[in-house]
Amino acid sequence: MLLYEWAALPECYAVRLLAAILEVPLTLRHVDYYPAHEHESDAFLTLNPLGTLPVLDTGETILLDWLGALTYLAARHDPERRWLPLEHTDRMASLLEWLSVARALSESAGAARLHDSIGQEADIAGCRAKAHALLRHLERHLWFGERAGCSWLLQNEHPTIADLAVFVNVILCEEGGVERLDYPAVRRWTDRVKQIPGFVVTSGVFPAATLEVKQGPGA
Amino acid sequence: MPGGALPEEFGERRSIKIVLANRDRPRENAISECEAAVDPIIWNDWHVVGDATELRSYRPLTTILLGIRLRISRDLDGAITVTREDHGPLLSDVRHGLVWACLGRPTQPIVAIPELDEADRCVVTAGAVGVHASAGRVVENFLDLGHLGHVHAGYLGEEAESAVAPYVVAPLPGGGIHASGCKVFQPVASPSAKSGFTVDYRYKVERPFTACLYKSAVSQPARFDVIYLFAQPVGEVETIVHALEIFVEDGVRPAELRAFQQFIFLQDKPILENQNPKRLPLGPRMEMPVLADKSSVAYRRWLVDLGVTWGTTSAQDEVVAG
Amino acid sequence: MREGWYPIAACDDLPAAHIYQTQLCDEPLAVWRAADGHVNVWQDRCPHRGVRFSIGTVHANELRCRYHAWRFGSGSGACTFVPAHPDRKPADAIRATAYPSVERAGLVWTRLAGDQAAPPVLLPSTVPMRAMPVNRAEDAVVAAISAAEMPGVHLFVQPVSAGRTVIRGLAEDAALLGEHDDALERLRRTLESA
Repeated sequence: MLLYEWAALPECYAVRLLAAILEVPLTLRHVDYYPAHEHESDAFLTLNPLGTLPVLDTGETILLDWLGALTYLAARHDPERRWLPLEHTDRMASLLEWLSVARALSESAGAARLHDSIGQEADIAGCRAKAHALLRHLERHLWFGERAGCSWLLQNEHPTIADLAVFVNVILCEEGGVERLDYPAVRRWTDRVKQIPGFVVTSGVFPAATLEVKQGPGA
Repeated sequence: MPGGALPEEFGERRSIKIVLANRDRPRENAISECEAAVDPIIWNDWHVVGDATELRSYRPLTTILLGIRLRISRDLDGAITVTREDHGPLLSDVRHGLVWACLGRPTQPIVAIPELDEADRCVVTAGAVGVHASAGRVVENFLDLGHLGHVHAGYLGEEAESAVAPYVVAPLPGGGIHASGCKVFQPVASPSAKSGFTVDYRYKVERPFTACLYKSAVSQPARFDVIYLFAQPVGEVETIVHALEIFVEDGVRPAELRAFQQFIFLQDKPILENQNPKRLPLGPRMEMPVLADKSSVAYRRWLVDLGVTWGTTSAQDEVVAG
Repeated sequence: MREGWYPIAACDDLPAAHIYQTQLCDEPLAVWRAADGHVNVWQDRCPHRGVRFSIGTVHANELRCRYHAWRFGSGSGACTFVPAHPDRKPADAIRATAYPSVERAGLVWTRLAGDQAAPPVLLPSTVPMRAMPVNRAEDAVVAAISAAEMPGVHLFVQPVSAGRTVIRGLAEDAALLGEHDDALERLRRTLESA
């Protein structure tokens, strides 16, 4: 499987992260998103007319969206059906709701980070305000979840792709001027995500204490 | 590059004097508030403000240098123009694949880089990366040896081998500092490294916000790969970091060098953004260095000698306020 | 610096090997429970190069700074190890700035200045509510909670900075935590839209 990516994008990290946890080998194809804007080149737009990253070439199909890529990896490579509980309708509904939150975080916290880091245009105040609204929602959910003995977004003993999808933009949000000071339950949850067996970091993410640093800038 | 509002911290400066036009400079208007707030040595220096790779003829860039908003555009013939949005005086140039600007009167030319004349060099820029930190903190992090085995563990150093052996720091004849004799075991010194080896490091700081690293080239350890870091001061606690890599050609593609540089810097970014105060402390006993911090101590002392105050603090009570 | 004791965390906010981040009257704080049970409340700043302790890691009774992996001991805050110079004992002067801590009524309290003894919290049995951070000054928040009618709830404030305050509540009935949280959310909405 081939992953076209720019390593600094949280959406690309999410796919690498799930692949690492599920021990699915990925060949990484670096796309020079910045400063060369390679995702706007004719060659890349032929592959993905949307001009977005990551793109996952599974060998059978080309997936143009990171959440679709996470769904595919979990559906195909998690025989125990823990990362994507397809048989449970209510859990799947909840999972989709959290994937919506993940996308909204990408478009708010993620956009703020790209604005501050590489000068991408954004309504920076609006992005930060939206990110905080989402973080407040996440904080309340996780706090009450902890009281009920749950460690993850779904009321489950096991994390799902929702946890990873939400995690990647939360863990990097401070680079976009969105502080996590007000969200202690979120901070505890990010520590738990980092302790998932097989977890890998990306630049800008610090490992949990006992974890060996495992990552790569791209093949 | 932040193209939005001026960074908040910029306004929180010590009191600003407006100097009225005087007979010595009859053609100039009143010195702007921005200029009055910046040390002349910084105002009158050349600064990198953009990466030529990024420019498209249909998309001008905006950036901020020392509080002044700039516009950089490339026309269909490829010529690059830099202008001030407030139409004030500005000098600009394109050199080494980077866009340079000087808001004042330069007392020194753009840094010369003799390695660029060597035929077997791969030259790569890595884009302009914004960081919520002061330029002094950025330069100091670039010089720092003690963090390589922790922040860049598995690449520029190893946790188990993070002891820093003594090294030499001396002033440069033309001003600035030079560190030599540094040795670091690096598992992955650069993208072409197939195994770890002990790398010789030398640093040079020629301008307050310009630093240069020489490190043993993987394929020819007797020669040096060169990495320049240019910290573009946006506001006192906001910086855009530009890197210029001049590596001995060894088959590595430029895109890989660029990706590696971005990978390494993005590991430093959250460290820089979590330092308090953001302004570089220059006062005695504000922070506690150890022997390994010799180049950082020399750098801070040099800034004090130069009279640089931009992005720095000497006040003990600013330690926590940031 | 402000005198007196303020609540800054719930005891349950400090699981093992986690560093809790907060701020009291503009003083950033890193709060962590060591393996021996001691609750450390430290100025959130490594004395080496000013990096926040709260992005570091905890190992038994030591906190490790993320930048250069300097280690600091629980209790005294003294630096115990500098990896750059592994054979040297760190100078005594290198230490975290540590504030006193007490645990009362399920909350962690600290004092930045003064020498007042920690007052007892004389309440019936209660459980801590979810902390409610509000982007408003302490005065406005205190006025709002004084005017609010929340029976079975005891409210304290933690002033974070000039424009930010955390409301920390203790509830007499754990079954009503959700309702009380809704009430505080309404209070916050009213305060922040004013």
